[in-house]
Amino acid sequence: MNDPISTFKLFGLTFNIGNMVAVTVAAVFTFLLVFICSRKLQVIPSGKQNFLEMIVDFTNGIVKGSISGSEASSFGLYAFVLFLFIFISNQMGLLFQIDYNGVTYVKSPTADPIVALTLAALSLSLAHFLGVSKLGFKGYFVGSYFKPFKLLFPLNVFEELANFLTLGLRLYGNIFAGELLLGMVTKLAFSMGALSFIPSIFIAMIWDAFSIFIGSVQAFVFVTLTFVYISQKLQPEE
Amino acid sequence: MLSHSLLPTVAVTDGGGLYYGNMIFTAFVFIVLMLLIMKFAWKPLSEMMEKRANKIADDINSAEKSRKDAEDLAKQREDALAKSREDATGIINNAKQSAQVQSDQIITTARNDAQSIKTSAQKDIEQERKDALANTKNDVANLSIEIASKIIQKELKADDQKALIDSYIEGLGKQDAR
Repeated sequence: MNDPISTFKLFGLTFNIGNMVAVTVAAVFTFLLVFICSRKLQVIPSGKQNFLEMIVDFTNGIVKGSISGSEASSFGLYAFVLFLFIFISNQMGLLFQIDYNGVTYVKSPTADPIVALTLAALSLSLAHFLGVSKLGFKGYFVGSYFKPFKLLFPLNVFEELANFLTLGLRLYGNIFAGELLLGMVTKLAFSMGALSFIPSIFIAMIWDAFSIFIGSVQAFVFVTLTFVYISQKLQPEE
Repeated sequence: MLSHSLLPTVAVTDGGGLYYGNMIFTAFVFIVLMLLIMKFAWKPLSEMMEKRANKIADDINSAEKSRKDAEDLAKQREDALAKSREDATGIINNAKQSAQVQSDQIITTARNDAQSIKTSAQKDIEQERKDALANTKNDVANLSIEIASKIIQKELKADDQKALIDSYIEGLGKQDAR
């Protein structure tokens, strides 16, 4: 938590350079993966196109799990990009972390609360925006905050805040913990020479495997919850 | 706080402060990523998947159609086969019938012909027999006259003699007829 970071200020806002680099690298990876896989598309898919379509089918399945009907197809792109971006971000820190002058520049962007909460804010903003645009402001407000009756208004406001925090912090916490422990295992490996290095390899392998699993599950959970929230905003409860 | 040699405006801090700027940056990067993926991958991919879905539906429909066509064709062929079999049976039956009629006719004609030939032959035979009988009568009369004239050296009237022989021959013919 207390690792040094490099920052600069612009328009009164603080920017974290390491974070920005990580986000950009993750985005570039995501784009390259999709871009390379989507070259030479064919009606009868093969190889990388199959792989890409498998992911698309998977994310479309997540969307259809929460949202029914014709609306589902318009969210396919968002679900696809969100899933792939979070997935790659989660795995990135396990593959490599680049330090420069003691500042980590490339790591999992989602191991940073700001990035995770930004994605959560994006998802929930989208949910609220869609709610207003579909039901009108009054319908949205009544449906979201006066359910089941008006007295629960403060609780509902709090719930929206909690949704935002849990969505973002769940992702951040899981990935951050994974990286933290991996860093500790690395430290352990170099602490006592060969005596600790060899067992550390196995510990790191086990933890890497687990982190890959956690990273995949968290990407899935994030996208699923995003669409649960969106579907809640789209269909008001009676 | 340390100042960075390459980036003079950069301050390295010990994890302090919230960097709200990154929220804008992250959101911006994410939206740009989404737009890029939409342009370069999502749209062509969706179009391709839709095309495939249409193609599969078309293929299924056309397969159904050709199956029906094949069924119809098979049925037609079967019908034609049954019909031609029926026709063949009819033709054979007709031929048999006409052959029967023809053979009956031939047999009848042959029988009639044979009958008439037999009748005419009988008539001929009868005629010839009569002719032969008449010739014989004359020959016998002449012969008997010559013999009689030579034997008895007596002039005899040929006509008287003939009457005598006629009566004799008649007696023979009666015996014959009996």
